[in-house]
Formats: sequence, C-alpha cells, structure tokens
Amino acid sequence: MESYSREFKIQKNDIGNAGTVASLTKRELKKRGLTRDFVKTVTIGIYEAEINVVIHSYGGNCVVKIDDDIVDVVFQDIGPGIECIDSALTPGFSTASHYAIENGFGAGMGLPNIQSVSDEMKLTSSKEGTRLHMKFNIDGDCYES
Amino acid sequence: MKVKDILSSNTFELITDESGLNNEIIGIFASDLLSHVMGNASEGNILITVLSNINVLGVASLLDLSCVIFSHNIKVNDEIVNKANELNIPLLKTKLPTVETILTLSKMGI
Repeated sequence: MESYSREFKIQKNDIGNAGTVASLTKRELKKRGLTRDFVKTVTIGIYEAEINVVIHSYGGNCVVKIDDDIVDVVFQDIGPGIECIDSALTPGFSTASHYAIENGFGAGMGLPNIQSVSDEMKLTSSKEGTRLHMKFNIDGDCYES
Repeated sequence: MKVKDILSSNTFELITDESGLNNEIIGIFASDLLSHVMGNASEGNILITVLSNINVLGVASLLDLSCVIFSHNIKVNDEIVNKANELNIPLLKTKLPTVETILTLSKMGI
C-alpha cells in the first residue's frame, strides 16, 4: 500500500485532545488491514507517548510514518527534558504533577509500557527537549488473513 | 453477554443513550489509573472505575471496551456523557463499591 506520513502538533496540558494521534493512527492501521492485536500494540505505544508530551513537556510534535513493513513514530518536544532516563524507564517511577494524577495519569507506567510494546525504542533527552523514536515491525502475521 | 443484558438487574443505571447496548462483553477490568488500563485491559472488557474524566473515554475507545461502569455512585458530568454518546460508548453507574460491582457481574456469569 501507499506510504502514510502525518505530522501532529501536541499542546502542553491539552488533556482533552490527548489521544488524537493514537486514535487517527488506529483508524489508518485498521484501514490497511492490520490485525486487532497489532493495532492495539501500536495504539498503546502512541497513546502513552502522546500523554507524556501533554503532561510533562512544554509541547511538541509527532510524526507517524506507515509502510507495508513498519510503523515508525517520532515524538519530539521542546523541554524541559528528562532528568534521569534510567529512573524514567523504571515501572512506577513518576514525576507527574497533581494535575496529571487527578486526570488518571502519572502511574509511572508510560515509558515501561512503550518499551514493552515496541520492537525498538530510542529515547534521548536534554533540557531543550526529549525525542522518543519507536518502531513497530510489520510481518505477514500482522495482516488479517 | 451484551451490555443490555446487565441493565435488567436495576443495579446499573444507564446514563448515556441507547447506542452500544449490543456491544459484546468479554471480561472485566477494574482500575483508576489509565496507564494500567491502557497496558492491560482487552477488547470487549467492561471497565469499572471511579475516575470520571474525559480521558477514560479516550482509552475506552482506543481499546474497544464494551462499556464503562462508574462505581461508588461517582458523579459523572454532562461533558463526559455527551462525548460518550458521540463515541457510542455506553456509560453505566452504580451505587456499589468496585469490589461489589465485580462480584455482582461475576454472579451474572461474566
């Protein structure tokens, strides 16, 4: 199928719209005939990353690319950065604000969830911003028969 | 079992319109932390929660959950009800605490 590429803007604290990238990507993956399990895997990864940008950063963007054999997603925000990546990857570790916790987030499971669902995840961070690159490989079994 | 089948008991009050009542129920998931729901709930699950905010609907929609039950008689505002109607996600309310809600559903055969 034709390659798909779409860029999304994500606003700081815009919790009402969080999930838009995940929801639109889910729709595209379903359209391409991918299995429910595969669609769910990608949706979880994107949703968690999207929430992270909304609740932790000053805002950012996301680029989703889909080809026949891969889903490639990059989230880039404009700061303030992750102080200690090792801690951030530890299940249960959280620096979430009261606002985020009131909205049901901040369990410290976002990055660990992303790590477990993606085939490859690269996380780099400085005070100027955090970049999260995740890849989901598509093989023959990922398509509905 | 379908969502409409659990409404007959009077334990649960439907607060959205009639859409989605034919959703098939496959198991129960209870949590008030959305990352736990996102990472662990499955398609067709009923979600039982006391968390009444708009993001619950985002997660329910992304995971294709069958319905959401708010336990402990939690107040659910109109914004959430309207959005759930738009997304065709049935919302139910009950006075029962979460554990009692699970036990009641379990007795119904879920």
